[in-house]
Amino acid sequence: MSLPNTDTIAAIATAQGRGGIGVVRISGPSAAELAATMLGRIPEPRRAVFCDFQDENLETIDQGIALYFQSPHSFTGEDVLELQGHGGPAVLHLLLQRCLSLGARLAEPGEFTRRAFLNDKIDLAQAESVADLIAATTAEAARSAMRSLHGEFSAEINALLEYLVKLRMLVEAMMDFPEEEIEVADSVLCNSMLQSIRTKLQQTLAIAKQGCLLREGAHVALIGRPNVGKSSLLNRLSGGEVALVSDVPGTTRDVIREVIQIRGIPLHIMDTAGLRKSEDEVENMGIARTHQIVSRADLILLLLDGAQGCTAEDVGIISGLPPDIPHLLVFNKSDLLEKDHDRDLKSGIYISAKSGEGLDDLREEILKLIGWHHQESGTFIARERHLVALSETLSHINRAFIVLQNAELLAEELRLAQQALGRITGRFSPDDLLGEIFSNFCIGK
Amino acid sequence: MKFPDAFDVIVVGGGHAGTEAALASARAGCKTLLLSHNIETLGQMSCNPSIGGIGKGHLVREVDALGGAMAKAADESGIQFRILNASKGYAVRATRAQADRLLYKQAIRTMLENQTNLWLFQQAVDDLLLEQDRVAGVITQLGLRFYSSAVVLTAGTFLAGLIHVGQSNYQAGRAGDPPAISLAHRLRELKLPVGRLKTGTPPRIDGRTINYSLLKEQPGDNPRPVFSFMGNADQHPRQIPCWITETSEQTHEIIRKGLDRSPLFTGVIEGIGPRYCPSIEDKITRFADKASHQIFLEPEGLTTHEVYPNGISTSLPFDVQLDLVRSIKGMENAHILRPGYAIEYDYFNPCGLKSSLETKAINGLFFAGQINGTTGYEEAAAQGLLAGLNAALQIREMDAWCPRRDEAYLGVLVDDLITQGVSEPYRMFTSRAEYRLQLREDNADLRLTEIGRKLGIIDENRWAAFERKREAIAAEQERLRSVWVNPRILPREDAERVLGKNIEREYSLYELLLRPNVNYVGLMTLPGAGIAVEDKKVSEQVEIQAKYQGYIERQHAEIKSGEINETLRLPEAMDYREVRGLSIEVQQKLNQHKPETIGQAARISGITPAAISLLLVHLKRGFRDGKRSD
Repeated sequence: MSLPNTDTIAAIATAQGRGGIGVVRISGPSAAELAATMLGRIPEPRRAVFCDFQDENLETIDQGIALYFQSPHSFTGEDVLELQGHGGPAVLHLLLQRCLSLGARLAEPGEFTRRAFLNDKIDLAQAESVADLIAATTAEAARSAMRSLHGEFSAEINALLEYLVKLRMLVEAMMDFPEEEIEVADSVLCNSMLQSIRTKLQQTLAIAKQGCLLREGAHVALIGRPNVGKSSLLNRLSGGEVALVSDVPGTTRDVIREVIQIRGIPLHIMDTAGLRKSEDEVENMGIARTHQIVSRADLILLLLDGAQGCTAEDVGIISGLPPDIPHLLVFNKSDLLEKDHDRDLKSGIYISAKSGEGLDDLREEILKLIGWHHQESGTFIARERHLVALSETLSHINRAFIVLQNAELLAEELRLAQQALGRITGRFSPDDLLGEIFSNFCIGK
Repeated sequence: MKFPDAFDVIVVGGGHAGTEAALASARAGCKTLLLSHNIETLGQMSCNPSIGGIGKGHLVREVDALGGAMAKAADESGIQFRILNASKGYAVRATRAQADRLLYKQAIRTMLENQTNLWLFQQAVDDLLLEQDRVAGVITQLGLRFYSSAVVLTAGTFLAGLIHVGQSNYQAGRAGDPPAISLAHRLRELKLPVGRLKTGTPPRIDGRTINYSLLKEQPGDNPRPVFSFMGNADQHPRQIPCWITETSEQTHEIIRKGLDRSPLFTGVIEGIGPRYCPSIEDKITRFADKASHQIFLEPEGLTTHEVYPNGISTSLPFDVQLDLVRSIKGMENAHILRPGYAIEYDYFNPCGLKSSLETKAINGLFFAGQINGTTGYEEAAAQGLLAGLNAALQIREMDAWCPRRDEAYLGVLVDDLITQGVSEPYRMFTSRAEYRLQLREDNADLRLTEIGRKLGIIDENRWAAFERKREAIAAEQERLRSVWVNPRILPREDAERVLGKNIEREYSLYELLLRPNVNYVGLMTLPGAGIAVEDKKVSEQVEIQAKYQGYIERQHAEIKSGEINETLRLPEAMDYREVRGLSIEVQQKLNQHKPETIGQAARISGITPAAISLLLVHLKRGFRDGKRSD
């Protein structure tokens, strides 16, 4: 029995954490196609190649080792592509997102193993443990789902679902029972209900993103001219919290990555050490390089010498920053400033990496800029799949607005919206929908 | 006595399921016997005199696309035709016809009598002949034995039928016909999973005693819709309207006062009735704040005064029925011709069926229609056709045809029945079909006629007409793709009139047709658009396909991702207690349902994706063990 799986799956294959290497694994018929798109080539099977992992604008998300295994000579027995990058959850997340946007589906728990098993890649003796593994991963998934689906988040999702079902009920009833005297779901009503759903969905998505931030952290690029105190700042920032240094050994990299935590949020700091060497090179090149490194950050910290203020070189760096990524000017060495020094408080924050002055303000500002709004309650540990499901739901709701005048197309978008949401909340059958209709409307002429 | 001739297929029952089953089996080339307790009632419409409606019209068109009788009979007997949801999209538009009962019956009888390979015989069936777990024929009331290795049972509401009017009740198959008691006993002995359902019908009114001048008229549509792909409006008899009236607060008061003598509310009726077709007493109880309910007065035919008041199905005592009818506007002096009643009957839980409609317990025995817990002529006809066809295919040693959910409403119907079972009479709705956008009335032939042809149930005539239509559609689509509209040549006023705005680059006519607000007729008025196709059915199809194209492509992707599950078969003999990791509840459910494929298993309520993974692993193991022992 061969099992032609019709779709391609992808997932982060290494344990969640801050290891030196992170692996995104892709399995299925489109693996080669994904390689061609993301790497610009299909690597020779079973040969490690060092290459750029590119995003849709052909910009580099990360560099690392790509391994391609051709069916049936792979772990799962399907075409498999493994991308070994530099570990940080944020980068891995970007890589995974890229795979998903290229048509791969997020793998279910244990799915790689399952495929491996079904394709004869694991021998019979291991069969029992595979079954146990699936049961266990599912139980684990169920437990974590339970954990994340309690309290306010659960209430949010259920309220959303209830509203979506109500709208579907009106639309479906209108189509299946045109001869009955029932409430008409006109476009005004549908529009206002859709608005409410969208607003609620966006709020929930925002909360889910917070949860995801808590779990996976944000990417912060630390840039600045030499000797402005980047290293001391890093040490300061990580000082009070757990600091894990995860410099990647064995590769020549411009970027040093460290992970620090601020109030439990992991921040992946990309310290652009390489800029130092480019000093005497053409300035443009330095700017281009900065750009490349910072373009994947959620926040850019530009460290300046407080005494010198914003120099011409700093201005050059600022002008090269991507406009859609927030940046923060951090004036260091405030301890060396005269008391009457004219501080440019509008443009940035004054700190002293040496004395610790201003660091609390800086931490607050960083959290604010990466989008962390801490709430006492309402936050939950969002998983990738929650975000994917919520975003997909939102995209169907957005399309529903466009087809508002066509009941059957509106119904289709709403069906797909609920199907997407159902991946968080569980199944809902057409019969459940009919049940809603019959209990709300007097049907039957 | 043993009947001298043996048959390939025997169909028991002459309602909508039985007649389609017999016709399909005979069309497929099998020597077929149709047994009915009364040949006069073949094709009888026991309840309301109408065919089609939302979801149901879709089924009728599918039956027609497979060469069945229902749409043809409706065209020959329809006295008022309408398209429901005409203002909405094509996917949810549905044809509905009021039928003259006598003309309908006559049309069906004529088709049955003229069908080659088909024999009719009047005898009630009392028992099945079995050889181990295989059916061998039937025994009739007179003790006649008819032999065949496939039997299609379409017993309708006749199995242990019990009619209720108020607190009186009596055994019957429907008003005026005897029930099938011995057969019901026999089937219960076979340990098939039996249950009780209930349905009802309103009192019938003498139209001469209705004051129509007070009522709202509901005429048929103009132009008049046609049911069959092979039909035309010239076949229709004279057309007459329906009328609309409503209940009043006084009606509701009368009903409320009679509830203490209602078999439904006093617990006499145990069977479960449909939520979408409740009795009037149920409606005013459950929706007490509704001041009035609509009643449609439907003529039963051109040669009778009998009227069917759709909306007041009831099993209240007759004196209450009379008072409630006379409290309704226009019926103040109405004479009731027949009392309304509720009927309880045996059905067999369709979880016991394969997707071919063959019972899992007895080989060669097929069930179709209300016996499976469905209601409605259309649902019955569709199942009948499928069961008759599959019985014939089995005789011819061919694989059964089991339409998929994305192929036909027929596929949705059967899949729902066998994976979900039935807890109330099952009726088709478009919301049951997740692939509704591609399961339309207008393309039922394009979806199914070719399949029917391959299975041998489509005659030359229909096939030739179908091929002409299909080719014409393809040719016109090709033409539209090859004709280009140039923005420099297109006059501004034409662009604005047809397209709403100027175009910025060159487009093919087909690309323009994909736009939401562009229609075929308008498009053809553009200079250089060429000559429009004359056949409206062709141009309409070209336009509809263009409008749904994006959605259908997306659905195809969804269907494809689940396809593998539909083709992975689960062994019949599988004992789910042996599947490691499954919860006991899931094991029991799967053992009870015995799904045929992974896809079916996944649709059973309470079966989780994890359970499906475990099943896959188990399947694989079983296969490897098997391979090893070779």
